[in-house]
Amino acid sequence: MEIPTTPALTSAAPTLIEATGLTKLYGEFPAVTDLSFSVRAGEVIGLVGPNGAGKTTTLRCLSGIIPPTRGAVRICGHDMGQDPIEAKRNLAFFSDEPRLFDYLTVGQHLTFTARIYNVTDYEEIGRGLLEELEIAGQVDKLPGELSRGMKQKLAIACGFLHSPRAIFFDEPLTGLDPLGIRRMKDSILKRAAAGAAILISSHLLHLLEEVCSHVLILKGGRKIIDGSMEEIRGKFSEMPAGANLEEIFFRATGETKGP
Amino acid sequence: MGRALLYYEWHSRWNRLRARLRRLRQPKYLLGAVVGGLYFYFYVFGGWIHRSGRGAAMPALAPEHRYLVESAAALVLLVVLLLMWIIPHERAALMFSEAEVAFLFPAPVERRTLIHFKLLKSQGAILFSALFMMLLGRWGRGNNLFHYIAWWGLLSLVNLHLVGSSFARTMLLERGISNWRRRLMVLGGAGLAAAGVILWARQTLPPPPGLSGDWDSAALADYARQILQSGPLLWLLAPFRWAITPLFAGDGREFLIALAPLLAIIGLHYWWILRADVAFEEASVELSRRAAERISAMRSGNWQAAHKPKKGRRPPFELRPQGWPAIAIFWKNLISAGHFFTGRAWFYLIWIVVVVGAIVRPGGRHAGEGAALSILAVSLAVMSLLYGPQILRHDFRQDLRVADVLKLYPMTGWQMVLGEILAPAAILAGAQWLLVLFAFLFCPANFGGVPAPAALRVTAALAAALVMPCVDFIALLLPNAAALIFPAWVQLGKDTPRGFETMGQQLILIFGQIIVLALAMLPAGAAGAVAWFAAWWLSGRAPTVALASAALAGAAVLAAEAAAGVHLLGKAFEHFDWSEGSLE
Repeated sequence: MEIPTTPALTSAAPTLIEATGLTKLYGEFPAVTDLSFSVRAGEVIGLVGPNGAGKTTTLRCLSGIIPPTRGAVRICGHDMGQDPIEAKRNLAFFSDEPRLFDYLTVGQHLTFTARIYNVTDYEEIGRGLLEELEIAGQVDKLPGELSRGMKQKLAIACGFLHSPRAIFFDEPLTGLDPLGIRRMKDSILKRAAAGAAILISSHLLHLLEEVCSHVLILKGGRKIIDGSMEEIRGKFSEMPAGANLEEIFFRATGETKGP
Repeated sequence: MGRALLYYEWHSRWNRLRARLRRLRQPKYLLGAVVGGLYFYFYVFGGWIHRSGRGAAMPALAPEHRYLVESAAALVLLVVLLLMWIIPHERAALMFSEAEVAFLFPAPVERRTLIHFKLLKSQGAILFSALFMMLLGRWGRGNNLFHYIAWWGLLSLVNLHLVGSSFARTMLLERGISNWRRRLMVLGGAGLAAAGVILWARQTLPPPPGLSGDWDSAALADYARQILQSGPLLWLLAPFRWAITPLFAGDGREFLIALAPLLAIIGLHYWWILRADVAFEEASVELSRRAAERISAMRSGNWQAAHKPKKGRRPPFELRPQGWPAIAIFWKNLISAGHFFTGRAWFYLIWIVVVVGAIVRPGGRHAGEGAALSILAVSLAVMSLLYGPQILRHDFRQDLRVADVLKLYPMTGWQMVLGEILAPAAILAGAQWLLVLFAFLFCPANFGGVPAPAALRVTAALAAALVMPCVDFIALLLPNAAALIFPAWVQLGKDTPRGFETMGQQLILIFGQIIVLALAMLPAGAAGAVAWFAAWWLSGRAPTVALASAALAGAAVLAAEAAAGVHLLGKAFEHFDWSEGSLE
């Protein structure tokens, strides 16, 4: 199978995800502080950072699940605070734990999602997605009858049904088997090649290195560094040309690699 | 290893208690604890202390009645223990938490140690239950400590029998004796014993007093005493009576004498369990997993998921991909409420109404029963206004556990609120309309001397059918508002606290909801009253016109209140911060 690759990015590609001065406080505790960055169409950005860096909070603020304390989020040009409906119509968020309704079958999940997003030709798209994700035979099953990986696939099928242009993944490979991981990587690259802007939060640095065109490193809720791999390597003059993301991560966050 | 398990158990309980005490620093828990404590005091401790102060819990049993009550209690115990052999169908499984399974099952711990640990662990709940039962159910003037020990012994025995019977069940399964064969054997044995008792009574005793048409309670009690005090039932119930007798002991000497057989039975059960060489680990792992899922679901306020559906339910109607998204939420919640909303269930209900209506039609032979049924239907309809919104929870109370998913949907807040509340409102309205139809069909033309002409009955039914759904909607908005505005009080978080404080919080919440509902009814009531008098005066004292006008005015005000409530709650949903209290 031919693995799609990200398209040649040009500065003309529209910005689909944009955060400006994003800050989220939990009481007095700053989970994310003054975070600004943007993702253009076709870009896949890896969001990395140690535990408690604010990755999940960032993704939830960007996708409109939780309101930021300060700052602005724009999805496909729509301000999440001012025009949340249009912003949400263009995005999909995939949490690490598939979030499904226990009493809806696989097929009913798709029907339900289609109505929420007004996807008229959902039956054809849904069929294609279920086949692509290899759960076409599970249409009448409830989530309780599915394995964790299959639940994850169902959540992905629901998320992709309305062809989102801004896609957020929080640990997308959790629970997937090797084939599922391979297909997920292909799927991410395919969507990016089709013009979606993708933000992936993961601790699996080798995955990010494989699929991401850019990296954003967070620590303690603040941005440490962001840019393409080459740009980031260039910011650390002592880094060798072929330094991998793991080395960059430890260098940038000041964490030790261990014994 | 035993010390490690004791260490674990002691520190788990101690830390849990400390965490709960620490929580009382927060006003919401402190207030809840005070209210919960007061409730408990007045309804349990208060009553008990009050009774104790008078020197009598309940009138002591007369000796001639005591044996009868003891025997009846022994019979109940026999039935309870028999059911343990009849109903269950799964293999032996001891309930461990998931953490206990993860730590203890792979550890070098003997099976016997695990059983001991489990039995000791269950003592915590038994000791508390015994205290509760002692406070609630003191039957005589006897010593409180004796009552407590007697309850402890009885509950321990039931617990041990539950474990022992599950072990025996597993052994029978391993020897090829299926569940149904075991059930037939147990039921057959019980049936034979019952037949023996009946045969003996027929041959030995005079006919029961009821059969001769004379329902003399004293004669009946005497007949029952003869059956229980002599013949096969005396021996059959003996071991069960030994377990019960300490509860009725009058003094220390009697108690100690009664306690000895109970302790012996407990000892025999303990020996039986330890002797049973049954593999319970695999079933326990599965049971722990299911219990953890169920507890997690219930703590998240998702009572439906706590009883996961086994197969998909047919949707109530076809959901088209285009249209108002709130209908999708309505559709989803109707599927969730499938057991309330199957077409078959509604068909049966309507069928019952029609059949009963045909039998009990006004003016017919059973017209008197019809009036009673009419009153019953009206009473049920009124009760449904209060209890329906608490029972039907297919709304935010179910869905806030997936609030992150709901927040992702491109829907305005008020659309989401409307979609969430529509399903329970529709189900409730359907049930109430059926009750109104029921009341209308059976309502006689002359109700207790008050004439109720057909026009008035039709108007009253239509008025009720119009007003009730509006009241439902407001009544449903209130718990949903509580869920959105005070999620910590409505048990939606994963780490839901338990105890007095939670009970107090629930009481405060229910009390608050009743007050708000009453306040919401005031403007509608006022509008209805004004419309009534105006129409009464303008129509030349026509009650149907007055009633219709009052209903229309009241319903209009209620609908306006509901619309305002949906709008305000929609804003609350838009500002609902799902993450509050959680970090990453």
